[in-house]
Amino acid sequence: MTAQLESSPVTSVDAELQHQIEQFLYLEARFLDERRFEEWLDLFSDDIHYWMPTRSVRYERELDKEFSAPNEVAHFDENKRALEERVTRIRSGMAWAEEPPSRTRHMVHNVIIEPGDSPAELLVRSNILLYRGRLDRDVDLFVGFRQDVLRRSEDADYGWLIARRAIYLDQTLILAKNMSIFF
Amino acid sequence: MALDIRGLVDAKQGTVDPRIYQDEEIYQQELKNVFARCWLFLAHDSQIPNPGDYMTTYMGEDPVLVVRKRDGSVGVFMNQCRHRGMRLCRADAGSAKSFSCSYHGWTYDLSGNLVGVPSEDDAYHNEINKAEWGAIKVAQVDNYRGFIFGTWDPTAPPLIDYIGDFRFYFDAFADRTEAGTELLGGAHRWVFPANWKFAAEQFCSDMYHAPISHASAVLALTPDDQDVDEEVFPMEGMKGRQFSSELGHGTGFFVESGDVLANIVGQKPADWFQGGNPEAVERLGDARAQRMRGAHATLFPNFSFLPGINTLRIWHPKGPNEMEVWAWTLVDKNAPADVREAQRIGTGRTFSVAGMFEQDDGENWSEIQRVLRGHMARQSSFNVQMGLGHEWHDDPDFPGKVNRVYCEMAARGFYRRWADMASGMSWDELMASVGAAVEVSG
Repeated sequence: MTAQLESSPVTSVDAELQHQIEQFLYLEARFLDERRFEEWLDLFSDDIHYWMPTRSVRYERELDKEFSAPNEVAHFDENKRALEERVTRIRSGMAWAEEPPSRTRHMVHNVIIEPGDSPAELLVRSNILLYRGRLDRDVDLFVGFRQDVLRRSEDADYGWLIARRAIYLDQTLILAKNMSIFF
Repeated sequence: MALDIRGLVDAKQGTVDPRIYQDEEIYQQELKNVFARCWLFLAHDSQIPNPGDYMTTYMGEDPVLVVRKRDGSVGVFMNQCRHRGMRLCRADAGSAKSFSCSYHGWTYDLSGNLVGVPSEDDAYHNEINKAEWGAIKVAQVDNYRGFIFGTWDPTAPPLIDYIGDFRFYFDAFADRTEAGTELLGGAHRWVFPANWKFAAEQFCSDMYHAPISHASAVLALTPDDQDVDEEVFPMEGMKGRQFSSELGHGTGFFVESGDVLANIVGQKPADWFQGGNPEAVERLGDARAQRMRGAHATLFPNFSFLPGINTLRIWHPKGPNEMEVWAWTLVDKNAPADVREAQRIGTGRTFSVAGMFEQDDGENWSEIQRVLRGHMARQSSFNVQMGLGHEWHDDPDFPGKVNRVYCEMAARGFYRRWADMASGMSWDELMASVGAAVEVSG
């Protein structure tokens, strides 16, 4: 099935598709915030690439180098199996960075949808604001944007699968003792 | 000074006073007597390959610029304008022809010499002596197998003597092939709300925490058909060794089984690092190239690495209660592409701010630091007694002072060195106490 696209000066998709995609992203955020990690994993295609590059402070003329390249190191550079291992770790009861668990709130904003490489795919850009509270006094705030590829799937419970996710944070030095959470 | 810093560490009894992690006065002594005197790791050759390439880093809390000069040598100078103290360069890295201060425009060349002063004729009447007002230069810079070190102290012993008997172990990481090593692009940098010594000491001396602190990661990464105690983290101390240098450096590793590397970075890199690279076997010999596995290491004071996993990092002090970790991934220059790729992914997946192992370290260190806010919590010593008095010096494979892998001998060595240095002991005294041990290095 082809994703519905309709051109206009500011958006290439119709309101119904926009609504559907936003609801899908909200559902994903809810799964994470409710620690329903197994259901969250099911939202990803088997060929998912989940990637968060590192970032450095650069002058304007070298801004093209601020994010690490795909062949350089990354905060996350995960396939499906690696994401599953991370969930296995959290569920072990001995993942001390998540035991007691963090409290997260994923806010998803500014969802912009564009046509993907194939008729069944969409490029979805969203801003995220992620609050993490931990123990009594730990507070972390992660802000950035994500570039997802969403793939239409008749077999998927919610009609779509996340086939690619790139997360670009607005911090260079990460102002947190760890990132034991998902984005 | 009122505080007797040497009295806060009792290496003979195996105790440390927790104030060393938390006290502001001690911290200032540490910046002055440890960080402004020691050889500190600054950068790897591969990070600044071309003339004009630079990166900014810290020596203690002092910001420095590390620059590849036109003649190929490396210049290191304070990242601070001599006019009114402004930070000269505010980027992490880049390439430049010169460094111009954004406050009033004083301009420095790649060696840190002052070469330009706006309105030099009109405002200064051509009376300023620019030769006197260059950036403050680091007293000594040296390069060991691609690793660039510097010290503020002109009287510090040569780098090779500073590394001393740790060289045998450092080479297992740094000198595997003639082609040498390089860092992959990108860096993991983050903040721990904890004293830098917790991290430096752990990488120096603490295999003991791994099966507990990192139980979840070991579990998640170990295939179902593998026995963790036998094959991944053997719990018998004699299946590994710990080494402690009188110079404060330390390392620990397994020598029989303990194939944690394959689970962390994959079988191919594990094979490559554990005997699969014939050149490394030739250079390093059987003990270091094939049998050392799952190693942790710290070169005193704040440069740590994990051979095989190949993360390396600096623990930058940021006050007594906070540190920044700057971590990179090292690869053999001539490693096969699939080994490099597995290394690149495996390091980030395990030892980084989001790494499945290192996430839990942050929880430990930050909570210790928080507990030490309490007055009573600082009144009783910490226990660093594991393996006390059980070391030996005649190991057939591993030179120097060694012990079982689960041990705190290297922590005692680290803290004794730290206390000697922080209390202001002279280099003559510091090096005299290790003369015999250094001879072992070869």
